Amino acid sequence: MNSAITQHPAAGFKPVLLIFTFLAGAGFLYFVYLATGSHPEKAWLVFLVNFLLFTSLSLGALLFSTIMHFTQAKWCQRLAGVAEAFSAFFPVSLVLFLVLFLGRSHLFTWIGEDLHGKEAWLNIPFLFTRILVGLAILYGLGIGYVVHSLKFRLSRKQDITRLKQFLFNRWQDPSTGLDKTKRHMTFLAGWYMFAFALVLALVGFDLVMSMDPHWYSTLFGAYTFIKAIYAGFGALIIAAAVLHLSSANRFTLSGSQFRDLSTLFFGFAIVWGDFFYAQFLVIWYGNIPEETTYIIERTMTSPWSSIAWAVFLVCFIMPFVVLLRGKFKETPQFMIVICSLVITGFWLEHFLLLAPNYLHGAHGFPIGINEVVITIGFLSLFALSVILYLKQFPDLLESEAGEVV
Amino acid sequence: MSQLTFEQINSAVLTTLIKPTPRYWRFVGLAFVGILIFLGCWAYQLSMGLGVAGMNTPVHWGTYLINFVFWVGIAHSGTLISAILFLFRAGWRNPIARAAETMTVFAVMIAGMYPLIHLGRVWVVFYMLPLPNQRFLWPNFQSPLIFDIVAISTYFTVSSMFWYTGMVPDFAIIRDRAEGVRKKIFSALALGWTGETGQWLNYSRGYLLFAGLATPLVISVHSVVSWDFALGVTPGWHTTIFAPYFVAGAIHSGLAMVLTLMIPLRKLFHYEKIITVEVLESVAKTIIFTGLIVGFAYGTEIFIAWYSRSIVEMESFWWRAFGDYDIQYWIMVICNTAIPLLFLIKKIRTRIIPLFIISIFVNIGMWMERFVIIIGSVAHDFLPNAWGHYSPTPIEFVFMLGGFCIFIFLFLLFAKHLPSVSMTEMKELIHHEEEHHEH
Amino acid sequence: MSTETTTITGLFDTESATLSAVREIQAQGWKVKEVHSPIPSDKLAAALNRKKSVIGWFTLTGGVTGFISGFSLAIFAATRWSLIVGGKPIVSWIPFFVIAFEFTILFAVLGNVAGLVTQIGIPAKMGANYHPDCSGSVYGVLAESTPEDAEKLRLLLQNKGATTP
Repeated sequence: MNSAITQHPAAGFKPVLLIFTFLAGAGFLYFVYLATGSHPEKAWLVFLVNFLLFTSLSLGALLFSTIMHFTQAKWCQRLAGVAEAFSAFFPVSLVLFLVLFLGRSHLFTWIGEDLHGKEAWLNIPFLFTRILVGLAILYGLGIGYVVHSLKFRLSRKQDITRLKQFLFNRWQDPSTGLDKTKRHMTFLAGWYMFAFALVLALVGFDLVMSMDPHWYSTLFGAYTFIKAIYAGFGALIIAAAVLHLSSANRFTLSGSQFRDLSTLFFGFAIVWGDFFYAQFLVIWYGNIPEETTYIIERTMTSPWSSIAWAVFLVCFIMPFVVLLRGKFKETPQFMIVICSLVITGFWLEHFLLLAPNYLHGAHGFPIGINEVVITIGFLSLFALSVILYLKQFPDLLESEAGEVV
Repeated sequence: MSQLTFEQINSAVLTTLIKPTPRYWRFVGLAFVGILIFLGCWAYQLSMGLGVAGMNTPVHWGTYLINFVFWVGIAHSGTLISAILFLFRAGWRNPIARAAETMTVFAVMIAGMYPLIHLGRVWVVFYMLPLPNQRFLWPNFQSPLIFDIVAISTYFTVSSMFWYTGMVPDFAIIRDRAEGVRKKIFSALALGWTGETGQWLNYSRGYLLFAGLATPLVISVHSVVSWDFALGVTPGWHTTIFAPYFVAGAIHSGLAMVLTLMIPLRKLFHYEKIITVEVLESVAKTIIFTGLIVGFAYGTEIFIAWYSRSIVEMESFWWRAFGDYDIQYWIMVICNTAIPLLFLIKKIRTRIIPLFIISIFVNIGMWMERFVIIIGSVAHDFLPNAWGHYSPTPIEFVFMLGGFCIFIFLFLLFAKHLPSVSMTEMKELIHHEEEHHEH
Repeated sequence: MSTETTTITGLFDTESATLSAVREIQAQGWKVKEVHSPIPSDKLAAALNRKKSVIGWFTLTGGVTGFISGFSLAIFAATRWSLIVGGKPIVSWIPFFVIAFEFTILFAVLGNVAGLVTQIGIPAKMGANYHPDCSGSVYGVLAESTPEDAEKLRLLLQNKGATTP
């Protein structure tokens, strides 16, 4: 019986892994080609957009597990296991952030500018150090949480992969001290959520808002982490739905679990819409030129206005109208389509916020084949991390997967 | 909680509705006297004019607005508990949902009263309503003040209907066990409810829809209240974070008020088995969460004030902490962000006295926050020669206490004449827990 | 064919006892007219083949009406004199959205209430067979049979654990 279990996960994954590795590599090479070309700022812009998007997705997806654990919700144990798979992207994200350093002269247009005292905050050494430290702490908390959770989820009866063997060696006997593990998990989950809010707010302020150093909005930090939750839940739904529909594993979700997850997604769609509107209304109404130039450029001048409308339609109107109907929330195929569209919308949203800083006097549509190729590379890298994690811990996909007691 | 039977719940709640003692009526009378004094002062203000309040150039919005925002905030956490936690299926809401929803209805009424007081000539309130008139004049729907009217009246209407609907099955219980006049009254109130399966199906669906509609309403109402300030250009007011910050702050103060109300209620009515310490502890844990959000908002505002390099913004926030109203500012910060962190200690959040004391501090802190925001910005905005000072007058203090007297008066009447714990929801909770144990 | 029916009431203490009794009665061919319960029960509703609630449609209609009314009212008011206030456009969708949103919720709730009133049928006249304990803690099963079978039905109910007043 054991051999049957060992065979199929590997079989299902192999070609997918190869494709994603190829795409990731191709994307990276293409990026290097563009970055060393005549318009490096365009390449670095796409890099930043993708870094922000996929980092948010992974952080938001893991947040699902930490929230459920912290509030002692019981309905979604195995889903939490899948959510934790997204933490595999954390080390990748950290490396990508270090790569961002190489493009600093193209990304940070305020270098060398007179910022009337803001230089105490906006200077390269301080900025990179604080974000690096923040990300390191956040990722450390997240990975620590996941490792503790794996103590419950893994079983010796399933095939032992390399990483599992490493963990089992470290734990000696994984069945003792489960109470202590659970308390540690709660502790780490709480601090992860706290750090999530602060670090993502910091990332939002430093890597997005300050790219236009003369504009500011107090809600921007919170807006950034709400985006991460909304989009991260979307990514989780896609992963859960794909695993549910795939015949290569035994992971299934009940209709009501799916519906609850989709309802959460719907709720955060509205929260995101509300945060967006709160910024927009205040800036529109006050009509202060310091604040409005940023908004006017991005929502009322071409070519940005069409992207802005696309974001609004795809990220808010579409999920709101469609998900009012309960039936769609229970259909995995449908949710995959909706969530994919929303995440694409968020790619556009990040692009919309950042691109006007770099592409002045842009003619024609600013998104072309370059952006698509590099984005596919990032997407493949992201998917690769999650798939490799699930390959290392196939127990998470079994129907008798251990649950955090 | 699982040891309780349906009948125990019924009797625990129904015994609170027996004939009240003279001591009870003395408290009601005291509150009523407070209301009379308040009404007397209002009559005085109507005859003498708004000058009896301390408002003057440059501070035209004083304690009347502070109290308005304060009471709307209190109302919000009632809806959080009864509607939002219902959607999240948090069982700890069931024992306190009824009292919380009642708190909402009364708090909205009191909140709505303050803008009327602030009008001065209350009888011209109809100017703000879209009533057809000879001069074809209509309200300016672009103004956040008009948003307020629409939002608060919607909130009051929705909350009252939600409150009443929730009580119908409980009214049936009282009807079936009462006699005489009380039976007649509750027969009318219960609307002929008999708990048939078809009735329950529709009722449950309607209740779910109520909860689902009340949730965005809560968020929108306090966002609208925050936009009364944020849509102007005054420094310290014109900031995008106000909407979620106010909503979080409202829930923060409202939850504290829930603790302040529930703790005496459960003692006086012997509800210890129903409103258990675990329920109060859950409220305390949520207060930690909302306190952190409020702290995050404080920190972000200060940071962005510095980041903006705008001398007006920087001066405004420096003055809040070190200017004429520094005491209020530091009370605000300590009571709202530091003191709730004490709830992280299990011993503190599971004992009645610390819970009660900290809840009072949070309420004081949240009142101070509205003071700091409203007065602190208007007294000290763009032009130094327009800077001023404001102190509430004794009349305004009476108006403030009057609001509390009205609330206590109404709540006392409610507690002794209507079921203060939802018997039906408690039974549903027990039933749900029993089903879980069987699995 | 005799069209007379006798209604026997059986009172049970738990939902599970009520359910099994209802199923047994239906298996024997008698009709369960109604069950009065102190708390809602999906399983009982399914056993009695109750239709799903249509209140949601009332709410949706109300909500859509409210959304349109909110915008309409605001646009109507602004276009009477078409005055420019605060430098904003005369018909400005962004602030008017708040009015539309509040009206959506208000009318949706009014629709919800209309749905509740019409679907539950309140205020209602209470049936003669209603036992007052059913609001408190007891499940009351109302089963119908012909007068000849009444005794058999009563015995069946008692066998399942009911008290039959």
